[in-house]
This record gives sequence, C-alpha cells and structure tokens, in this order.
Amino acid sequence: MIFKIEDVTVYFPYDNIYPEQYEYMVELKRTLDAKGHCLLEMPTGTGKTIALLSLITSYRLSRPDSPIKLVYCTRTVHEMEKTLAELKVLHDYQVLHLGTQAKILAIGLSSRKNLCVNTKVLAAENRDSVDAACRKRTASWVRALSTEKPNIELCDYFENYEKAAENALLPPGVYTLEDLRAFGKNRGWCPYFLARHMVQFANVIVYSYQYLLDPKVAGIISKELQKESVVVFDEAHNIDNVCIEALSVSVRRVTLEGANRNLNKINHEIDRFKANDAGRLLAEYNRLVEGLALRGDLSGGDQWLANPALPHDILKEAVPGNIRRAEHFVHVLRRLLQYLGVRLDTENVEKESPVSFVSSLNSQAGIEQKTLKFCYDRLQSLMLTLEITDTDEFLPIQTVCDFATLVGTYARGFSIIIEPYDERMPHIPDPILQLSCHDASLAIKPVFDRFQSVVITSGTLSPIDLYPRLLSFTPVVSRSFKMSMTRDCICPMVLTRGSDQLPVSTKFDMRSDPGVVRNYGKLLVEMVSIVPDGVVCFFVSYSYMDGIIATWNETGILKEIMQQKLVFIETQDVVETTLALDNYRRACDCGRGAVFFSVARGKVAEGIDFDRHYGRLVVMYGVPFQYTLSKILLARLEYLRDTFQIKEGDFLTFDALRQAAQCVGRVIRSKADYGMMIFADKRYSRHDKRSKLPGWILSHLRDAHLNLSTDMAIHIAREFLRKMAQPYDKTGTMGRKTLLTQEDLEKMAETAVQDMAY
Amino acid sequence: MSNQRKRLTGEREDEDDEDAEGIGEWERAYVDDRSWEELQEDESGLLRPIDNSAIYHAQYRRRLRMLSAAAAGTRIQKGLIRYLYIVIDFSRAAAEMDFRPSRIAVMAKHVEAFIREFFDQNPLSQIGLVSIKNGVAHTLTDLGGSPETHIKALMGKLEALGDSSLQNALELVNEHLSQVPSYGHREVLILYSALCTCDPGDIMETIQKCKKSKLRCSVIGLSAEMFICKHLCQETGGLYSVAVDEVHLKDLLLEHAPPPPAIAEFAIANLIKMGFPQRAAEGSMAICSCHKEVKIGAGYMCPRCKARVCDLPTECTICGLTLVSSPHLARSYHHLFPIAPFDEVPAFSSLNDSRRTLGKSCFGCQQSLIGTGNKPGQCVTCRKCKHYFCLDCDIYIHESLHNCPGCESIHRPKSVSLMEE
Repeated sequence: MIFKIEDVTVYFPYDNIYPEQYEYMVELKRTLDAKGHCLLEMPTGTGKTIALLSLITSYRLSRPDSPIKLVYCTRTVHEMEKTLAELKVLHDYQVLHLGTQAKILAIGLSSRKNLCVNTKVLAAENRDSVDAACRKRTASWVRALSTEKPNIELCDYFENYEKAAENALLPPGVYTLEDLRAFGKNRGWCPYFLARHMVQFANVIVYSYQYLLDPKVAGIISKELQKESVVVFDEAHNIDNVCIEALSVSVRRVTLEGANRNLNKINHEIDRFKANDAGRLLAEYNRLVEGLALRGDLSGGDQWLANPALPHDILKEAVPGNIRRAEHFVHVLRRLLQYLGVRLDTENVEKESPVSFVSSLNSQAGIEQKTLKFCYDRLQSLMLTLEITDTDEFLPIQTVCDFATLVGTYARGFSIIIEPYDERMPHIPDPILQLSCHDASLAIKPVFDRFQSVVITSGTLSPIDLYPRLLSFTPVVSRSFKMSMTRDCICPMVLTRGSDQLPVSTKFDMRSDPGVVRNYGKLLVEMVSIVPDGVVCFFVSYSYMDGIIATWNETGILKEIMQQKLVFIETQDVVETTLALDNYRRACDCGRGAVFFSVARGKVAEGIDFDRHYGRLVVMYGVPFQYTLSKILLARLEYLRDTFQIKEGDFLTFDALRQAAQCVGRVIRSKADYGMMIFADKRYSRHDKRSKLPGWILSHLRDAHLNLSTDMAIHIAREFLRKMAQPYDKTGTMGRKTLLTQEDLEKMAETAVQDMAY
Repeated sequence: MSNQRKRLTGEREDEDDEDAEGIGEWERAYVDDRSWEELQEDESGLLRPIDNSAIYHAQYRRRLRMLSAAAAGTRIQKGLIRYLYIVIDFSRAAAEMDFRPSRIAVMAKHVEAFIREFFDQNPLSQIGLVSIKNGVAHTLTDLGGSPETHIKALMGKLEALGDSSLQNALELVNEHLSQVPSYGHREVLILYSALCTCDPGDIMETIQKCKKSKLRCSVIGLSAEMFICKHLCQETGGLYSVAVDEVHLKDLLLEHAPPPPAIAEFAIANLIKMGFPQRAAEGSMAICSCHKEVKIGAGYMCPRCKARVCDLPTECTICGLTLVSSPHLARSYHHLFPIAPFDEVPAFSSLNDSRRTLGKSCFGCQQSLIGTGNKPGQCVTCRKCKHYFCLDCDIYIHESLHNCPGCESIHRPKSVSLMEE
C-alpha cells in the first residue's frame, strides 16, 4: 500500500498495516526531519523492522536532492539475514511502483568467516583463523613474493577482484550474505573485499554493532560513511553493555604467557630481518620518524584492525623516540609484561584508577603514558614490517597492547581491577586483570556526533528515560508503543506464593529454603500437566539452576515432571545447548512436550525464540539481578552514581527487569501467537519492580493477577489456554481495529488535518 | 455487591479444603451447579445473568458460513456413506475433574448422544469405537450400524489409566479402515484429553500414511491446543477444536454429525447394491439372524435371503446386502440440498424502512421482532423469500427443519424438479 505521512509518500509492501506501525513511522519521520536522535520501544512481532525500512527508504526517495544512507546494525548474523530478506520484499515493491529510479544498493557485511568463498580458507575452524588464513593468501608482500616463487598459494578470488580493480562493482539490488557469496563465486571476485569496497557506495548497509561501536573495527570499516546517514540500532536494549565491552580488556595469565611467546617470535623475526633485509627495518624507522604509520598509507587489504581508542582521542603525533626501533619496542613490551605478571601475583582484590596505574607503571617499569598510548600502532606497524600473516597466533600480544593503549589514553570512566580468583570459586587461583569501562557513552559518543540521526529501538527499552542518561544524549523523540491486539494473547502473572501460601522468592536468604524450592517445583509439576507442547523456565544463574535441579531430582519432583514432558537443560557449552535445543524442538513438534531449563542473561535468553508451540509458557524464577558482589559491577555502580546521578538500586532493578522482560518476551513473536508468562517471585508484586516492565506487558497484567498462589495460577492458565485455542477473527472486531487498510489511513490523515485547522 | 462476590469466591476456596471430608448435600448443589459463574457484573456494578444467546448465535453463524463456504456455488458432493471411528482417550488426563463430575463421564455422556445423532443423520453409515489406555489403543467395537451395541460397549469400560498415544490409535484405526469399500468415507474423530503423546515411533510418518489412505482425522481437545493435533488435522483435512466447557464440547461433537464435503479426487460415483426389507407381519415368528434366537414380530426380512433382522439400517449377516429403509435415504437427502444461510439484518437500517417496521414479526413463530426496550432485536432474512425470522427460528430451520417455511409457502412446483435430480 502507498500512503502519505505528511509530505513523504511511504511505500509499504503489504496490504494492511498495524496502527502502531503507522505511529512508529510518524515518529520516525519527525526524527529524520529534525535530524536528531530517537528512542523507540515497540514490542516484537509488530513488524518493527519493515516499518523502519519502508519509512527510511521512502524518505530517501522523497528527497532525491539529499540522499540519506541507512546504516542498520543488528546483533546477530541471523537477524541481519532476516532484515535483508524484508528489505528485498520492500525493494521489489518499490521498483514495481516507481520503476528503476527506486533501485538501491543494499548489502550485508559480516566477517570473512561468513562471506568467504575460498574452500581452503573456510576449512579453518574459528573466526580468527579464517582471518589469518585469508591474510596468508592476500597480504601484499605475499602476493609480491609469489611473482618470484610460483609455489606460494594465493586466493584466486582476491586476485580476480584486484584485477578488476575499479570495475569491481555490484549492480544495484539487495544482497544478503548468501547473494554476495553467490555473486562472488559467479564472477570470481572475493565477496568480502567487494562488500567492504561497496560500503561507501551502498544506500543501505546492514551489519553488526561492532562495526560501528568497536573502535578497532569501526576505524577500518565505517570511517568513510557520510554524515547524512541514519544509523539504526535494532534490539538495542543491551547497547550500553556492548559499548562497555568494546572498550574493556581483560588480561589473564595465559594471555601473558602467550604474549611472551609472541615476543620471542617477533624477536626471532627481527633478527632474521636484520641478517637478510636490514633495509626494511630502517625504512620503517624512518617512516615512524615522519609519523607516517598513523596516516594509514598502507593498502586496504593489509590493515586488519585500527586503534582500540576512539578516533578523536588518538594523538596526531609521531611515535615517541624510545619505541621507534623495533628491538627497543620489544624491550618495552617485555617490561610491561613483567610488570603485569607481578601485578597478577597479588593475593588480594585490587582496584585502581588508570592514573595511578600508569604512574606506578612509570615508576616501577619506566614506561611513560605517552609510550603506552602508542603501543598498539607501533605493534601494528612492526607486524606489517615483519610481514606476519598468521595474526590469530598473535592475539595475546595484541590484547596486551590494546590494554596499554586504552590505559594510556583514558583517565576517566575506567578502572583497573585485579582479582586473584573467581569470587564464586575461591579455591581455584585464576588471577585476572581487567580494564573495565564504566561509561557506555564513551564508545557511542562518536556515533552520535558523526551521524545525522541515530535510532535506538527494541522490544524492551523500559524505563525509556534511563537510556538517554546512560548514553548521555538528548533524543528528539522517545516513545513506547503498545501492541494492538485482536485478543489478549499474552497472559502475564505474578506468582508470589506457593500452594501452601508461603511466599516464594530467590532472595539470597530465601533461595535455599527447602520450602521455596519445593513450591517452585510444585508449580512446574502442575503447569506441565496443563500446558501443551513447550514450556521454558529461566533461572537467575547457572549455579542456582544446578542447585535447584539437583534438589528436585532428590525429592522426585523431576521425575514427576518427566512423566508429562521431557526435560532439557542449557549448559555453558554451546554445542551441548544447541543439541538440547534441537531435541527440545523435536519433542514439541511430535507432541511429546518438553521443558527447557535456561538461564537469564545466557545465550538462549538473548537470541533464541520460543515462538508458537515451542513456548506456550515461560516461567521466570526469581529476579535476575546481576551478581552484586562483582567488583566490576560495584565500580560501575559507583561511577554511575557519581557521574550520572543514577542510584545503585535503580540501575540494578532496571537491569534485572530488562533481562526478565527479555526472557519472557521470547514466547511471543507475532500477533497470531499466544503465550503465558509467570513471574515467580514475591518481589515482582512491588510497584518499583513491576513498573519497570515494558508497557506492552504491563498493559496485560491485570490487578487480579498480581498476587497469585500456585492453585490460582493453574486455574487462570487453564482458562486462558482454552480461550486461546478457539478460532478467532484476524482483522479485529468490536471497535478494536488492528489492521488498517489504505482507506483507514486516508481517513486518519484527513481527521488530523481537520484537527490542525481547529 | 462486591461483598457478595467475595463471599461467593470465598466459599469456593473453602470448598476445596472440605472436599476431602465430604460436604453437605446443600453445598454439593452449589459445587456442581456453580451458579455464580453464570453471573457477571455490568458497568454499574450490578449483577446480571450472562447473556449467552448472542455468543451462541455468532458461533452458529460461523459454523453455517463455514459449511456454506465449502459448498459455495457448485453442487457439492457429500460423503453419505461414512465409516467413522471414534477414538476416546482414556489416559490419566481423562480422570481430571475440570469437567464435572469428570472428563471421562462427560465424554462418555456426549459420545452416547453423538452416536444417536450420528445415526439419525447418517443412516447409511457405520461407527466403530477405539479407546486409548496405558499407551495402547484397544478396539471397543468393530464397525457397525447399531447404536445400542456401541453405547453398551462404551459404558462398560469407564476408567482412566496411563499415558496416551496418538500414533498407536491412528495405526489401529488405519488398519481397520483399510478394508472398507472404496465408496465409503474414512473418518476418525479423536476425543483427546491428554496434552502429550508417548509414541513408539515417528508420528509424522503415521500422519503421512493417514493422508495417503484418505483418512480424514478430526480432533476435539479437552484442555488446550496441541501442535501435533493441529498438524494432523491440517494435513488430513479434518477439524481441530478445543472445548471450553461441557456445552461447547457437545456442540463441537455434534458438528461432526452432518457429513463432511467429499474429497474431490476420491469421490468417484459408484453404484451400491441395497435392499429395502419389508417389515414382518405382527405375530410372525422367526429366528433372528443377529441375536440367534427366536423372536416374535417387529422385525425386517431381507429381500434377498429372507433372513430376519431386528434393526435397520444394517448389513444382512447372511448375504451381506446393505439393508436400509426408504426414509433413511430420504433423511440423508437434505445434506445435498442445504438451505442457503440467511442474511443478517443490520439493526439500525431496519428502523428507517417503513415497509419493514410494519411487518416486524418472525415468519416462523409469529413473535414480534421488536426486542426489549423498544430496540429492534436481531433478526435474519431469507434471500429467496425475503421473510424475516428470529434467531431461534433461524437455528431451528437450519439445523432441524431443513426447509424454509417462507419458501415452502410460496406455491410453485419445485418438488417436481427436485425429484428429477
């Protein structure tokens, strides 16, 4: 359908539109007009992605003189593929109605592992080794060498791509990763380098958060994006954590050992070069004197990562004299490693600010702040000079240099925490030195500054006023949309008491109480006997889950559950969990029914959908607070309180509730779906906790469902499931319009105009 | 008013506690009736009985639309000779008490009613009963045309045990139905109270097998929607529904009584040999072929082998001829020529139309169509004769009478053309 929002003609590829989608577009358009940033919360399953895409592309079409570029950031490759598939539908529709002038170029960009078509490179098992295998075949010196020695293996795809040079272009269209690979295979061009090259020409780019937020990657990939871009962060409820992770480094004992090995190898290489080709090292030295290395005069294929610090924090100076010579630099790194090794030997938990860390480093190891700052660039330059291609082996030393550069660059918003052992397992010494960033606004600030509009959107952004404070920006629009539904297809309940009327909670002093454990067990036993197909349970942590399942096993509760449904458990092992999930789905498909035990904040809670019969009920056992004794968390809380005036309690509750909302939101993925959500903890009935849940859940949480015991919950569940099993009318009746047609929209526009006139 | 409600709900909680010790007779009346559930609060907080008629009528309309949508336009073929297996799930879940007194009793009661209704509407068809218990499917009765034998077999075996297995039941039914003649329609109706199925093998294969052998599977669930049942019904072209309460269960069951539209590729026209036996004279004595004993009078004589049978319709035990009476055939007839659904008359437009306001009474029962409070009540109109009917008459005409009184009272020689067809 085609309709107008103010002065923009919107092309929407479906015949009907949900009212909330329409509102979403209106708000989005205002943001674009104002060239500002916005925060939009809309429940999953309401077609957020298509609304976004169709408005922004239509906006672009309506302003042909100032074309905007869309940069769409997703969390996972799977979401990326889904987005591109939707875009394809939309693009076909626009081309159908507007002809070839509506043609755009849209590409998805991912790592080599996902884009490479060279079978020999792909044989490597993880991302880093794929990168290294690629570099072994494509680095400029390797290629130069191969002209002399024909037995060196090169990548044909890359060679062809280089040969085509400027002519290597993608024709307009929408390319998913699969399409890119197919195109690359067909033409014999390397899809990865082609896609990277096309980033500057594409109208729509879909890639992962890291390409914009992690300065190491963003410096290479995203530096050429123009200012007139709209950046969208989808599923952005965890964006603050992504930002923080991008600027945090942790060093363990193995890292130091690996780094030492790397240094030995580098030393060896330096000696070899000295004997054979002393000129190269000298040339590098001279270049550093002139400060050339920082200006990136190296050819595109050879760079792999940029500086870990943010662009405007990097000094535009020549590398200091004491690390210009390769062997001197290696010595400095050795001293740094030694110093870090000594610090790791500590028996106590230590917390330090970067300033004091740097000064003690200066006094004890004689390394200045400025030297630290340049570590990363210097290492990169050295590795290029030494023509090292197997970069995956050199990860430890890169991590250490990362650390050094960040510590040297930032004085505020970070702290260094050294823990001799994991709090939860004090008997096993596992020293770790962490440079943790507390300020999410640091990493995202360049994005806000650089681009015209940044859209942050997700199904759960409540409370919506906290995000601007965490990320320190001022949105022009921040809104939360409700889901319009033809029937009440979600049924949230707060269960505060067990069947014996005793309160249940995972509060620290209550969680190991046998009565609570039994009540939780009984709840599940009762529920599995009345809920068909799939049931998902989320626990607050792995250790709690292990404990409670062990107890249930002893008391026979697990056996009772198994009579009704099969039981699957998430573990920390990815392969095991994938297998469990796969079998869980099969059990749901064939009617046997299954329960999946999972952990909030785990992989499953973040990325796996339990839609339709795969999840008719989700039980959230307890409030998933973070581990509050963690030193990193404490440091961050302190920083938030001092800098942004956010109270510790507020932040913890906010964080716990967004995780809980994320978990329970897994069950409902579209309007035709239905599911129940049980919050099993008495603390949920308190207003300060509950009010932080997203609006679309709250609006279905009736007062009568706020303080339930097990038997009442069972009764409600029974009624709900019966009601939902009845056939229903999809378009909505009785004044509740949930699908708007073209005429409805026109009518709405008219009344809006009339309202304006009055 | 809310006080009263609280007391009522409070009573319900107490009742749960007292259940064990046994409760007084006067209390039991409340427990069984649950009369408070038939009340609801209106906007001003007053209690009033729930007005279900509108809901029921909406349900009925939807049913009707569904049937007529299938029949849209062309003359539709219906499977008048049906071979139906009723599978009743007597697993552990059937012992639950959410239907009063228990699911198993409620199921048995309504299956009994269904069997009678079924033979009334489909005199040429046969039924068999299968039960699931302890994960195994048992045959209660083989295919047969006598309601009494089925009901007897059903009522004798009322206990709920063990797991349920959909696959075992389907396999058993499939085996039984593989022998029925090709003109018959194979159907299975499953009353499923469990929420899971423990199967020995891959149920998906069994579903495909059912699909291949043109077995139409329908499921009525008693507690919640199950994916596998939905999948089964979608694949084999059956209906899947879940009962909300006892009344709804009855409605859902009875929906399966009229014959379903025939599957196109399967419905080959076929000639079937049938006998129309004569009723034996009063007082004549003969050895009955079905009971193997001497009976006096009130029997039928097979026209081919002259054996005596007690009931019609049936298959002659001696020569295997299908025995029916002509009223049976006639009764099956209306399925082929259903009356078109009546159009709903929008309430507000009827006020403006002067012609309509004058004759505002139902053509069926002659009652005024002006509802309470001088508001026009809902009414429907026949497309052909343009007469108005009230909702009760609408249901009566479509579900029982199968003739429109309006159209019948217009004099024209329609019956002749009907006979020719």
